[in-house]
Amino acid sequence: MTAFLALVAKELRALFVSPIAYAVIAVFLVLNGYGFAVTLIATKQATLVNVFFQAAVQLVLFVPLVTMRQFAEERRGGTLELLLTSPVREGDIVLAKFAASMGMLLAMVALTLVYSAILARFSTPDWGPIYSGYLGLTLLAGALVSIGLAVSALTANQVVAAVVSLGVFGMLWAIDAWAALLPSPIDNWVLGLSLLARFQPFALGAMYASDFGFFLAVTLLGLFLAVRGLARR
Amino acid sequence: MTGSTPTVDRHLTDRPPRAPAGLGIAPAESSRHGIAVASVERLGKRYGRRQAVDGVSFEVKEREVVGLLGPNGSGKTTILRVITGYLRPSEGTVRIDGFDVVRDGHQARARIGYVPENAPLYGHMRVDEFLHFMGRLRGLRGGALRRGIESARARLALEPVGDAVIGRLSRGYRQRVSIAQAVLNEPKLLVLDEPTNGLDPRQVIELRGLLRTLARDSAVLITSHVLAEMERVADRVAILLDGRLLTVHQLAGAGRGTSLRVRARADRADEVAVALSGLAGIGGVTREEPEGGLAGWRVEVSEAGAAPRVAAALCLAGIASVETVETASDLEELFLRLTASRALQ
Ligand SMILES: Nc1ncnc2c1ncn2[C@@H]1O[C@H](COP(=O)(O)OP(=O)(O)OP(=O)(O)O)[C@@H](O)[C@H]1O
Ligand SMILES: [Mg+2]
Repeated sequence: MTAFLALVAKELRALFVSPIAYAVIAVFLVLNGYGFAVTLIATKQATLVNVFFQAAVQLVLFVPLVTMRQFAEERRGGTLELLLTSPVREGDIVLAKFAASMGMLLAMVALTLVYSAILARFSTPDWGPIYSGYLGLTLLAGALVSIGLAVSALTANQVVAAVVSLGVFGMLWAIDAWAALLPSPIDNWVLGLSLLARFQPFALGAMYASDFGFFLAVTLLGLFLAVRGLARR
Repeated sequence: MTGSTPTVDRHLTDRPPRAPAGLGIAPAESSRHGIAVASVERLGKRYGRRQAVDGVSFEVKEREVVGLLGPNGSGKTTILRVITGYLRPSEGTVRIDGFDVVRDGHQARARIGYVPENAPLYGHMRVDEFLHFMGRLRGLRGGALRRGIESARARLALEPVGDAVIGRLSRGYRQRVSIAQAVLNEPKLLVLDEPTNGLDPRQVIELRGLLRTLARDSAVLITSHVLAEMERVADRVAILLDGRLLTVHQLAGAGRGTSLRVRARADRADEVAVALSGLAGIGGVTREEPEGGLAGWRVEVSEAGAAPRVAAALCLAGIASVETVETASDLEELFLRLTASRALQ
């Protein structure tokens, strides 16, 4: 436990030592604030549905920037050798990086709670979709971070890690467009892999156990692959 | 396993008396005194199709310093990386204090302090912060952690740079931080990959002393390119070429290879003989052919530090002139011969 907490603290510190975290958070807040204000003024409706979709797209774009360095940098700088030769499990190393990245991303997403506060101040929003939207963002972030970490664990080059993660996310995001082109039973399976199709219900206020399970499964798969990536040496 | 001779060691490997994992109880075989802290058996490592290490076996026993010597690319770093658990062996086994580095990796790694090649460190951390982090990774906390950091800082003379950002330290200080990190919790086996790289002469000497201190209650495995350095610190040297172990060479002890040539007027030969017989630390005296009225002796010095003492005693007595002769060492000759003969094939 001592070792795990030390790892998490170190990862958090490493995230905030680099300017990437600040840049990502700042851009995220500016874009979302702008989107929130524009939709609010245009529609005059007390919902955050638009904010959730925007935030989801931005997570797809920004998570690779957060995860790319995690293992790639340690591998290239040789510090991975220090970590892996310490009496800690590979799983702990991966989980610590996951926990720290999620901590940063959730803090960033939590800053948008200001918008709900604004809505609550001036009207009575429907809280259901707001809760489910935040849950959806959390689940999406978990899936993206774990895939990003798995990709980072396989390479020593940050840029390669970022580009590959972005490619994977992009495919999983837009895959529903291709699914339509496929023959009958397969198209539904492929559609089931679409991050957008899985996220949409959460943003709109509907929670399905299958979507929940999907994100959880992807997260676990990503973490598993990251551990395997570290173990392969 | 097929076709291998069933030796006693094999027998132990096939059916190790294992303790339940995680209880921290060492298997029975390691409780015998003077037993190997690290035992490497027929270790092989392939990178893709390239066989970097092939059939290497050796042991590092308690209170012993073993050196790994070999030309660039002979597989030294690879062997150390397998021993410390960074790389998985392709063939063979490595046990640390009885724990297999693959099956009981956690237990094995908990017993090792490792100074990797080129001292990889977190450049954004401060020295104290880094030592604190590494100590916690090794499971130290509270008083034990504080004491570990204090003693490591003192041993490596790191007090002046405790607050310095590691990325801005000089090469030598980085190397010292890397060594400090490895001795935080008094490891059973200390593994150092070219630790003298970048150290100033004073630090090289102090590191030598530190290794001796540490070797009092742990085992040390070290690589170095400096033959003389290896000769000074190691009890045994394993010589590698192209991933194969050529020989394990027992070193006679520090100071070997130094001899003194003593000259005195022939009529004072008796006085010199008396003086020599009264001095400690002399291994052997051979009389040389007299030259132009001067008698000559060749004095082999048997223990470290004795040469200057003997020389000083004779000179101060005013009876002889002394010249120190650093004869080509055994190790140097052995190394050159072994590596040259293979290189020609
Ligand atoms: N990650 C790797 N992938 C592929 N080949 C490698 C890798 N690491 C080392 N090698 C190869 O294995 C061989 C042994 O390398 P190693 O680093 O163990 O040598 P070394 O004895 O430590 O050399 P040096 O004295 O230069 O430090 C070399 O031929 C090297 O090219
Ligand atoms: Mg090397």
